[in-house]
Amino acid sequence: MNPYLPVLIVLLLGVGLGGILSGLAHFAGPRKPNRIKEEPYECGVPIVGEKDKMSVKFYLTAILFILFDIETVFLYLWAITFRDLGWFGIAEIIVFLIVLFGGYIYVVKRGALEWD
Amino acid sequence: MTQELVFLAFAALIALCSMMVILSRNAVVSAIYLVGDLFSLAGLYASMDAHFVAAIQVLVYAGAIVVLFMFVIMLLNLGPDQRQHLQVSAPEVGVLALTIIGFLVVGGMLLLGQPTGVTGPLTAEAIENAGGNTYTVGMVLFTKYLWPFELASMLILLAIIAAIVIAKKEQNKDGDTRRLAHG
Amino acid sequence: MGLNELIALLSSDTAIQIIASVVKILIILVLCLQVPPLMVWAERRAPAMMQRRKGPNRVGLFKFRLYGLLQSAADAIKLIFKEEVVPRGANKVVYHIAPIFGVFTALVVACAIPYGNDLTVFGQKISLSPIRLDVGFLFIFAISSLAVYAVTLAGWASNNKYSLLGSLRASAQMISYEIPLGMSLIPLVVIFGTLDLNKMVIAQSAYPWSWGIVKAPISFLLFLVCMFAETNRAPFDLAEGESELVAGFHTEFNSAKFAAFFLSEYVAMFVLSALAATVFFGGWQTPFIPYDTLLGLVGGMEWLAALAGFICLIIKAAFFLWVYIWVRWTLPRFRYDQLMSLGWKFMLPVGLVNLLVTTLVVAFIEHAGRN
Repeated sequence: MNPYLPVLIVLLLGVGLGGILSGLAHFAGPRKPNRIKEEPYECGVPIVGEKDKMSVKFYLTAILFILFDIETVFLYLWAITFRDLGWFGIAEIIVFLIVLFGGYIYVVKRGALEWD
Repeated sequence: MTQELVFLAFAALIALCSMMVILSRNAVVSAIYLVGDLFSLAGLYASMDAHFVAAIQVLVYAGAIVVLFMFVIMLLNLGPDQRQHLQVSAPEVGVLALTIIGFLVVGGMLLLGQPTGVTGPLTAEAIENAGGNTYTVGMVLFTKYLWPFELASMLILLAIIAAIVIAKKEQNKDGDTRRLAHG
Repeated sequence: MGLNELIALLSSDTAIQIIASVVKILIILVLCLQVPPLMVWAERRAPAMMQRRKGPNRVGLFKFRLYGLLQSAADAIKLIFKEEVVPRGANKVVYHIAPIFGVFTALVVACAIPYGNDLTVFGQKISLSPIRLDVGFLFIFAISSLAVYAVTLAGWASNNKYSLLGSLRASAQMISYEIPLGMSLIPLVVIFGTLDLNKMVIAQSAYPWSWGIVKAPISFLLFLVCMFAETNRAPFDLAEGESELVAGFHTEFNSAKFAAFFLSEYVAMFVLSALAATVFFGGWQTPFIPYDTLLGLVGGMEWLAALAGFICLIIKAAFFLWVYIWVRWTLPRFRYDQLMSLGWKFMLPVGLVNLLVTTLVVAFIEHAGRN
């Protein structure tokens, strides 16, 4: 049996359960649409101001996340094989980590991770 | 037979999701279809016994890169596509034409028997005996492809520096940290 | 086809495996669905205990007060029958599918945790986790990285700028702590030499001194902190903080969709707790009783031994769930910039150094062992 068959089954069951809950929300309750009820919630006061522009910090966080995620992928690969790679393998990964640690220090020094 | 069916199923999913990515009026919905696309691609990899690549595809691509796309879409506050009917512009026609030509070329090559479809030495059993999928990928990466691996680390470093330089430039240009410039 | 042929088909190897998988999945699903009601009850009684008051203790059945356990059932019923108010201008499609992402990721990961050793049923080896993959660990991280979408899409679809802000912050928090989460578990892969969770449990024998927590204590601390950050729980729950931003990204979700978010949060907590129990505390191993001895004790009835292992795992996971509640009602909330600084500036380098040190130690030990 293909090991991914249970994955498919759980996926379908999970999506189904989520869909049922979502659907229940929509269909099981009373429906009394009302203009005031449907306004976006702001602690009861009328809405102030438009949607304003968001900070660029989120973008930076996401990009740094991708890059360090890729680094983590290489580390996983290395963790599995390191026993058979001997000291040479350890030297390889130290070079890799030094380069990326350098990048990390640059990030910290430039203050890219400061959240005001 | 089952292998072909599985391939067809995943390929159909990918084609469908890709079409919906292009045809959706809303950028966030397109991004969701992209996630479906990448997930199906991972399923395709898994059906070809490339388990490690399948997991990484979901982890990095669907779980990180599309998150970045979504952040950018939300930051730029893009409105829905305003076009009412299917209006095609010149570049889009060009891309469509190229795609059709591409299909014809690939179809022609397959008819002529070009990618022969003969399995090489790295069969699933060979990989299992060698210690499993991840192990094999790792060993090959750190011995035969060592230089590309170290160069990849340089590439990541480059990307880190570039991202920070670009983002900081936007911040300094506007004087305050609140706006992501257009274009 | 005739009955005999049907039975023959159903007794074939693949059929048994498939049926076993479906049974396992259903059992785990039911198990996961019990967690939110119990946790909701615990979340009200435990702080009551800590704050020297009584929590809900009245909802009961037939005049038995039942310590308020049925409060959760009452809450669930109320939630389902509440009216759903879709905010004006919300994107209808995304609004309806956003909760699904949280639910299915939590459930899929719950099925990848080993709940017991392999059983032999009808001559077939059946593993006690429905999803047994070669790349076990990576599968768990891959699927749990999709959980970010529930939060991101929910906030965006609400057409409410506070929801959007809350969801972006919560998403940024979740992705920031995914890296230390992964990095804290790599030393364990180095030590045990495998990505398969069941093999990891077997490698940590039943004796506590060879459990993950003794071999990689710093990893455990890192993982513990990341557990809280990933599930947006105290002290890192700023983005859904009850006194700020209303309810954050799920402000505009009511009735059963809110229940769906709640469910996915608690199941995710349970899954991370079970994961911590599996890699750091020996998973389904009964402490001090190796599996073979256990088998001998129960007279060779494998399923009893498996049940004992399962109960041990649940107890360990329950301990971590208790820690979740305990920490929530003890520690004050982190400010958002403190939170992000902690994740990026402290946990990432500590994780890297931990990995390097663990590798060097393991390398030296193996080197010394070989000579």
